[in-house]
Amino acid sequence: MIGSMDMGVRIGDLVMPNPVGVASGTFGYGQEYEPLVDADALGALYTKAVTPEPRRGNPAPRLVDTPAGMLNSIGLANPGLDAFIAEKLPGLRARRCSVVVNVAGKTEDDYLRVLERLEAEDGIDGYEINVSCPNVAHGGLAFGTDPAQVERLTRRLADARTRGGARRPIIVKLSPNVTDICVVAKAAEAGGADAVSCINTLVGMVIDVKAKRTTLAMGTGGLSGPAIRPVGVACVYKVSRAVSIPVIGLGGICDADDALQYLLAGAVAVQLGTAVFSRPEAPLEALEGIRAFMEKEGLSSVADIGALLL
Amino acid sequence: MKRLDTTVSSIRQVAEGYYELRFAWPAQGGDEPGPGRFVTIRAGGRYDPALRRPFAFSDYRAGAAGEGGEAAIVFQVRGRGTAHMAGLRPGDSLDALGPLGKGFGRPARGARPVLVAGGIGVGPMLYLAATLAEDAAAGLCEAPILAMGFRNAAFAPDIDLPAGAVICTDDGSSGFKGTVADWLAGFDPGSPPAFYACGPAPMMAAVARLAEARRAPYEAAVEQWMACGVGACAGCAVPVKSGGFVRACVDGPVLDGSIVDWEASR
Repeated sequence: MIGSMDMGVRIGDLVMPNPVGVASGTFGYGQEYEPLVDADALGALYTKAVTPEPRRGNPAPRLVDTPAGMLNSIGLANPGLDAFIAEKLPGLRARRCSVVVNVAGKTEDDYLRVLERLEAEDGIDGYEINVSCPNVAHGGLAFGTDPAQVERLTRRLADARTRGGARRPIIVKLSPNVTDICVVAKAAEAGGADAVSCINTLVGMVIDVKAKRTTLAMGTGGLSGPAIRPVGVACVYKVSRAVSIPVIGLGGICDADDALQYLLAGAVAVQLGTAVFSRPEAPLEALEGIRAFMEKEGLSSVADIGALLL
Repeated sequence: MKRLDTTVSSIRQVAEGYYELRFAWPAQGGDEPGPGRFVTIRAGGRYDPALRRPFAFSDYRAGAAGEGGEAAIVFQVRGRGTAHMAGLRPGDSLDALGPLGKGFGRPARGARPVLVAGGIGVGPMLYLAATLAEDAAAGLCEAPILAMGFRNAAFAPDIDLPAGAVICTDDGSSGFKGTVADWLAGFDPGSPPAFYACGPAPMMAAVARLAEARRAPYEAAVEQWMACGVGACAGCAVPVKSGGFVRACVDGPVLDGSIVDWEASR
């Protein structure tokens, strides 16, 4: 019955070929992992964050291993909008998977600048709005904790889409570092978001006792990996019941069972991030596992998985 | 670059807390390791630890025709990942991804390669010393000098050392008493030196000062926490003097030692 199964996922006007994507910041711009991963077989590739100007990123060390996870404080290091278009986009245009550009900035106008410029470029299928990066002083999480600002920014971005035909979906990436993530999800929906993705990393800190200082140069970083999976599943469960737009789940997914937890909780698609570092094959193996699950359950559409939760 | 479920061929403790791990590496078409390049190993199971661990190759021996080769690393037990690796036994499966990064270049004809290793940096320098000894035998450079610094004799590895190897210990329990930098200060290379080093930041900085004073080239293999190992995540940033960062995994790990901001490295 595999032939009759629909692995596609609808997000606004976009149909992703399947529900498994690779999370922003973990997969670069798609070419870095060649020849280890066939990125064309993914559902979606979420790029590293793009800001208007080049960003060097935070001081080193930027990473540390934690129990079943890791802390990072990269600081949105990226070559900037011009270099992204000139150097990275040509490779992304050739992709068969959906290409979602992660958009970030220090101010609302920064986000607008990136989106408006990218609207003039082909080869992009959607935008993930990063209002949840915990590692920058301006923008990022500072936006994502304020529902009014999330709504206003989302509306401005949604209205700035000028291309004719199918509109590229606006996916607002939410932070778990808030009292009630549903309030922020609803604000994104009210602002016209086509979907939300959750969760971004949790703020964490590791202290080197021998050296009596924080291991990361910036002090805090974002916790990711299997350690945060139950937090992410709970957030998706709550958010998917609070909004009527699609929810994309991420946070500690390593295999098909992990992905299915998110899909059963109410997500329509998932992203793998930290797991890719350890096992680059993990996303495509998860996709195969989801397919096998659907076949066993007699499902014809990914969208039907959530209804199975008792 | 490839990811292999390969097999441990041997593991042996070579010093206090240090091990040499040898494993099958059937290299073909660009998959030969090369001194300075590295491999990442998935230690333990089920994503805990969540990150692969990077290690410089310490040796590679091509197999006979039709047979696979064998690669080696030297590692120190520092945490959960390496503690797990210390428990590996011959025949165990090993998830290895490599070869990654940029390796060492070769010295100018007639130059004296001066190799400096501290602590775990001994692995890649042993590999480089063996390669440069072959170059020297072919008349491509002068015979390499390998100077290695350790806290005391217990940390000096029980590995076949090349001719011309010098051991320095802080307490004088083996070889020269003092740091490698102390030994280098009194060393006359005879020919124009070409410096190569891998080890802790203070040692790397000392070699940088020495290379600058002697107007000699300096190739430095850096260490940094790493997540992807392939240039995707920008996690393994190494600060450079011009401001900003380079990535240890794809811009290095072998970098021009004169551009690295050793003071800001930790």
